[in-house]
Amino acid sequence: MIVCVAVVGHQNNPLYIQSFTKADDSLKLHHIVHCSLDVVDERVNNPKKSGLIINETFLGLLNPTENYKVYGYLTNTKVKFILVTTDLEVRDADARVFFGRFHTAYVNAVSNPFHIPGKKITSRKFAERVSTIVKSFGLSSSS
Amino acid sequence: MIGVGKAKQYANVLDRPIGKGKQEVSLSAFAFLFSELVQYNQIQVDNIAELERRLEDAGYAVGARVLELLCHREKGNRREIRLLGILSFIHSTVWKVLFGKVADSLEKGTEHEDEYMISEKELLVNRFISIPKDMGAFNCGAFVAGIVRGVLDNAGFPAVVTAHFVPVDGQHRPRTTILIKFAEEVLQREARLG
Repeated sequence: MIVCVAVVGHQNNPLYIQSFTKADDSLKLHHIVHCSLDVVDERVNNPKKSGLIINETFLGLLNPTENYKVYGYLTNTKVKFILVTTDLEVRDADARVFFGRFHTAYVNAVSNPFHIPGKKITSRKFAERVSTIVKSFGLSSSS
Repeated sequence: MIGVGKAKQYANVLDRPIGKGKQEVSLSAFAFLFSELVQYNQIQVDNIAELERRLEDAGYAVGARVLELLCHREKGNRREIRLLGILSFIHSTVWKVLFGKVADSLEKGTEHEDEYMISEKELLVNRFISIPKDMGAFNCGAFVAGIVRGVLDNAGFPAVVTAHFVPVDGQHRPRTTILIKFAEEVLQREARLG
């Protein structure tokens, strides 16, 4: 069950954050996303210590906390995608596919001439697409 | 068999690749649109520097979006962190997508460490434009300079980019050079990466 997705700009400013649970704990989710940004920065700045290739886009599992798992993805323009999920077994391949589709939706949203870079993404179509991706992620990983 | 010739139907609309679309846009359509863009800006400003700045800003927005799109389309996406990496990316990939061919040449400046030049015999955007004498050194290639600046800025390489006419011996029309001057921090980072 995906709980929350977030898009964070290159100065760590939030561009889009959307939670998919009925509970009203959006503040807690914001907090989790914020903490995971630190992990992303650490991975990017110290490649030798974390043993990761320096230019990989998919960052993998960032931060397993209590009952949540947080995955990260970094694009060329230092825009970060964060995925928070409560699934216990999420396959790596599933997360990669999810981020691939999410990146596609993001590029489409940013190509909008009315979108101001650095401001929040207000496109309704983007919100719809994200909901679709989130729903299909649940289906594919449960099969 | 029926239906075997149809294009593959994707179950999820988001699985469809961001198509390359029709590779070509009509040059005359673009030339008209660009001339209108220049005229629109010309009416609103009083001097050449302002006009150049506006064209550059228009190009900057294009450059930012082009970078996102190209990096997503490329398979095996790797973030460029080296100077030469991002320059060759612009020189080949970006130029190929925008103008249908690779740029003519990429050179390193001899006088300063932080200057690089991309040259083109004739920029596509300038093909149907001739600058009146009283506009001095103005170059509509400022639009392309803006695109390059957009790509560099969003990839993490802040730079000042300008377009110049460079007269060449033996040829009637001067060739166009895009001059890229990187910010101090980029050079320091490059030195640190070794």
